[in-house]
Amino acid sequence: MNLVKTVLILFGLAFSTMIFSQQHETSYELETLVENLDYPWGAVFLSEDEILVTELSGALRVIKSGKLLPEPVKGVPNVLFAEQGGLSDIALHPEFQSNRLIYLSFSESDADQNNLNTLKVIRGRLEDNTLQNIKTIFRATPLRKTAIHYGARLLFLPDGTLLITSGDGFNYREQAQYLNNHFGKILRVNDDGSIPEDNPYVSVEGALPEIWSYGHRNLQGLSMNSDGTLIFAHEHGPMGGDELNIIEPRNNYGWPAISYGIDYSGALISPFTEHAGMEQPQKYWFPSIAPSGMTYYDGDLFPDWKGSLFISAMVPGDVRRITLDGENVMTEEILFNNIGRIRNIITAPDGSLLLATDGNEGKLIRVVPSLSDE
Amino acid sequence: MLKNILMFLVTVFITTFLLVSQTTISNLMWLSSLDMPVNASIVVTSIFHDLISMNTQGEIPVAGLVASGMVIAFIVARITLIWIPIKRRYVYAFAGGAALLMIVLLMPLAFYNLDLLAGARSTLGKLFLVISGVLGGYFFGANLTTKEN
Repeated sequence: MNLVKTVLILFGLAFSTMIFSQQHETSYELETLVENLDYPWGAVFLSEDEILVTELSGALRVIKSGKLLPEPVKGVPNVLFAEQGGLSDIALHPEFQSNRLIYLSFSESDADQNNLNTLKVIRGRLEDNTLQNIKTIFRATPLRKTAIHYGARLLFLPDGTLLITSGDGFNYREQAQYLNNHFGKILRVNDDGSIPEDNPYVSVEGALPEIWSYGHRNLQGLSMNSDGTLIFAHEHGPMGGDELNIIEPRNNYGWPAISYGIDYSGALISPFTEHAGMEQPQKYWFPSIAPSGMTYYDGDLFPDWKGSLFISAMVPGDVRRITLDGENVMTEEILFNNIGRIRNIITAPDGSLLLATDGNEGKLIRVVPSLSDE
Repeated sequence: MLKNILMFLVTVFITTFLLVSQTTISNLMWLSSLDMPVNASIVVTSIFHDLISMNTQGEIPVAGLVASGMVIAFIVARITLIWIPIKRRYVYAFAGGAALLMIVLLMPLAFYNLDLLAGARSTLGKLFLVISGVLGGYFFGANLTTKEN
């Protein structure tokens, strides 16, 4: 009889512990905001109820009060929509409310040599659903034959300069280690495309002055903490070796001289995973998760998630919540793993999270606190 | 017949070994140019790794790719030999080279202009891979047990 009592007490304790731990999990609901987007890629909130979304196929779509407007923004330049190329990221000028300037990154065929293309960033003034006064802010050199690995994420820093990620173009991976080209780099320009005087390689002979950091592969996540003191970037590895890095100017992040992944052919890209003068990632994934977007969560809607990094991933399709202690990665939690490949994640002004699913029937899905908690 | 099948398998192995070695060594040469500590031990272990990994972990098993290309090329070579009296080893050498040339040229077309074989990205690399096919084909032609035409 005592044995039965003991077992019942232990069972009861275990059950109460389960309930207790569940109460400490953040509960949320997923609400589909918009459907039938054609490869959604980048998104920004113009206001609490107005969102601009880029479609890789070339359209800049407007979502107002939860409705996808039928007319895309006019005046968006023609893009090269091929493989991974197309209309990619979007960023608002820090003073958008007064100057209405938006920035777009995209791949573009070269006007003279149609078999070549490149990554380009433009800015334009958004007036009456039309992009006006378009100015080229950045154009990557040299041109490339391949239509993958563009990077193409944009992020304004607190000082008003713009970071642009530029991928290695796949076939040109070794170029990521040289400073005379834009392959495999993070670049920093002023809001008008001019070069900031304090860029790290401005006075280095033979180096392109836009370069902020180098030795990258295909960076599709770029975010910073609340006070802008830490800049996070993630990049796709080959087979394995996706990385999360903290970016500092002038640093070499090692690709392809050091890597935790192997080539798609199965060959070693490098037998080395570390080397003097090359930075180690804060975290790497093997096998790959195909990280596709990132936001640093500083909202109030999910207090338990404050200070976490959210990384959207396309393989197998989920979001990784990374908790940090300063610069160090502490834990990784897998969320939203039942909605397929997730192309991007951003934080809404109200503190909810917005997910974009990948594909030609892409959706925007809002993550909000579960009503059952109230 | 059995010996010829064995010769074909040896031919595929020789060509695959040369192809893999070229991929590995071209990578290591570049790393060495960056003053990475590449030594003889790393060269040997890397080639061994790639020989296994490029046939088990890659998108396409490289030996299978080489074998497929060579089967087609050698059948064409055999038919050609019926009509044209050239030394067999030269025809198979040409066929082996053509098989590798097709592999390095057609693979990017099948994979979005991407050179999945990193060693095939340069013209020199492509040339080396074609020569690997020529050597493989020559070996096969020289060791066939059927009578020379």
